[in-house]
Amino acid sequence: MSELAVMTSGLTKRYGGDVLAVDRVDLRVARGEIYAFLGLNGAGKSTTIRMLLGMIRPTAGRAELFGRRVDAGANELWRRVGHLVESATAYPELTVRENLDVARRLAGVGERAIVGRMIERLSLEPYADRRAGTLSLGNLQRLALARALLHDPELLVLDEPANGLDPAGVIEIRELIRDLAREHGVTVFMSSHILGEVDRLATRIGIVHGGRLIEELDSEALEGHRDRRLEVGARDLAVAETTLRAAGLSPRRKASDGQAACLELRETSALESPDDIARLLVAAGVAPTHLALARESLEDHFIRLTGAETEAA
Amino acid sequence: MSTLQAAISTELLKSRRSRVPWGVAIGFSLAPLVMGLFMVILKDPDGARALGLLGAKSQLTAGTADWPTFLNLMGQAMTVGGAILFAFLTAWVFGREFADRTIRGLLANPTPRRTIVLAKATVVGVWGLAISTWVLALGLGIGALVGLPDWSRADAGPTVVAIALAMVLTIGLQTGAAFFAGVGRGYIGPLAWAVALIVASQVLTVLGWGSWFPWSVPAILAGAGGTQVEPVTVGAVGLVALVAFVGLVATTAWWERADQTG
Repeated sequence: MSELAVMTSGLTKRYGGDVLAVDRVDLRVARGEIYAFLGLNGAGKSTTIRMLLGMIRPTAGRAELFGRRVDAGANELWRRVGHLVESATAYPELTVRENLDVARRLAGVGERAIVGRMIERLSLEPYADRRAGTLSLGNLQRLALARALLHDPELLVLDEPANGLDPAGVIEIRELIRDLAREHGVTVFMSSHILGEVDRLATRIGIVHGGRLIEELDSEALEGHRDRRLEVGARDLAVAETTLRAAGLSPRRKASDGQAACLELRETSALESPDDIARLLVAAGVAPTHLALARESLEDHFIRLTGAETEAA
Repeated sequence: MSTLQAAISTELLKSRRSRVPWGVAIGFSLAPLVMGLFMVILKDPDGARALGLLGAKSQLTAGTADWPTFLNLMGQAMTVGGAILFAFLTAWVFGREFADRTIRGLLANPTPRRTIVLAKATVVGVWGLAISTWVLALGLGIGALVGLPDWSRADAGPTVVAIALAMVLTIGLQTGAAFFAGVGRGYIGPLAWAVALIVASQVLTVLGWGSWFPWSVPAILAGAGGTQVEPVTVGAVGLVALVAFVGLVATTAWWERADQTG
């Protein structure tokens, strides 16, 4: 039995000879991981996801799920996979309950009661007998997620799962995904634009740009890659800077747009003991007006990385 | 429940909830009503003029008000109307998955794609046969209501059977519309295909080749073209069946092999 839920090798998709949508992507996603696939619009995320689901044939390379090569006829494989590709859709003339019942029948799930349980799990009770065509985007997204979970899949492939959800819904879905992965061992392969969400949820992150996988790192490694700094504000920055330099530190002045200028320290001693910095400045007569540990967000990291790639190209 | 039964049941549910098949049934029901009106006018043109059903200087040249004429008109109206309206039905059953982008839920699914295609084709067939039966029965009822003369079970029986067979062929030929619903990813492809075929059928029938053009065969079988065209042979009916089968195979192949980016 393969330990990998998802494996791609040299996965490539070329359209019309000259549009390279996905370029030799190698992915390894172990069972139980929450793998986030990040990229700008047009980076190749959805094309990769469609190739993982057998909706698009690769031009070169291969994709495997649970050690089985993906193709359009891999029907037994799809019993183990739930998916939500791009925007949520449903049959508008059917109610939420009927939409789920259609999915249940096509998934070969005999137990009818599962529909009611999914409605409850995704908080869709008030809309259960409402036609899907009248649902808000957020509730349509919940319906699509309920459909993806209906047959108790071992792998969830989710393209923008938080799309259209309000902040409470985003948290709810995050907890649901986390619970599925931690408590039920479900592997999650997801793309998302909400990098804050990815940051909180993913155990591993792959960044795709221009069709290529340009970085892949787990959450601990991401932590290590991040730029951390201590921001120091004072009424007289010049005196504060002199004081810090005299103490052997290397402050850098940062003039951020719209905010008061401050000094940035990256020394480990400063990051680990900001209280010592405060004491030093107070003793020198320039008490800090602002002292904060700042950490590069995933968003900043992502922009830094994809920006650098674009410049290099 | 087998995967095919499950797929058919879902397709039937979708079609029952939609207005499209019902709209097709209502639209198609106009055919016997209009033919019945023609018969009323032909039976009594002066009375029809007095009632304002016919313009003062107009006259109908459809023939005489009797059962053979009525059934001939019904056959033509049903085959030509069916070619358009069943293409519309097929465009909806197959094309709506692309237009509504619900196709994604049908692709990476334990139910094989060929089963989905077969289920959709079955549902088009079920609706097509049900609507055709209803329209034919409605026509016979209207004919009786109008009090048409010259009813002969010996004459009418074969005509009704020919119309029924023609409708089966008309429905079978919709596999081409199903194919173009996939290739065109929506409604426009199959409707354009249907219109092009109706025009081609008319032209080829006039030129005398209609009996061998599969899409002309149903109308000729139902009486279109009169004595000016060659009668439909068993070989021509077999050709229609072959074309329908090829359409189904092509549709299935497209669903299974084409990149699905919608």
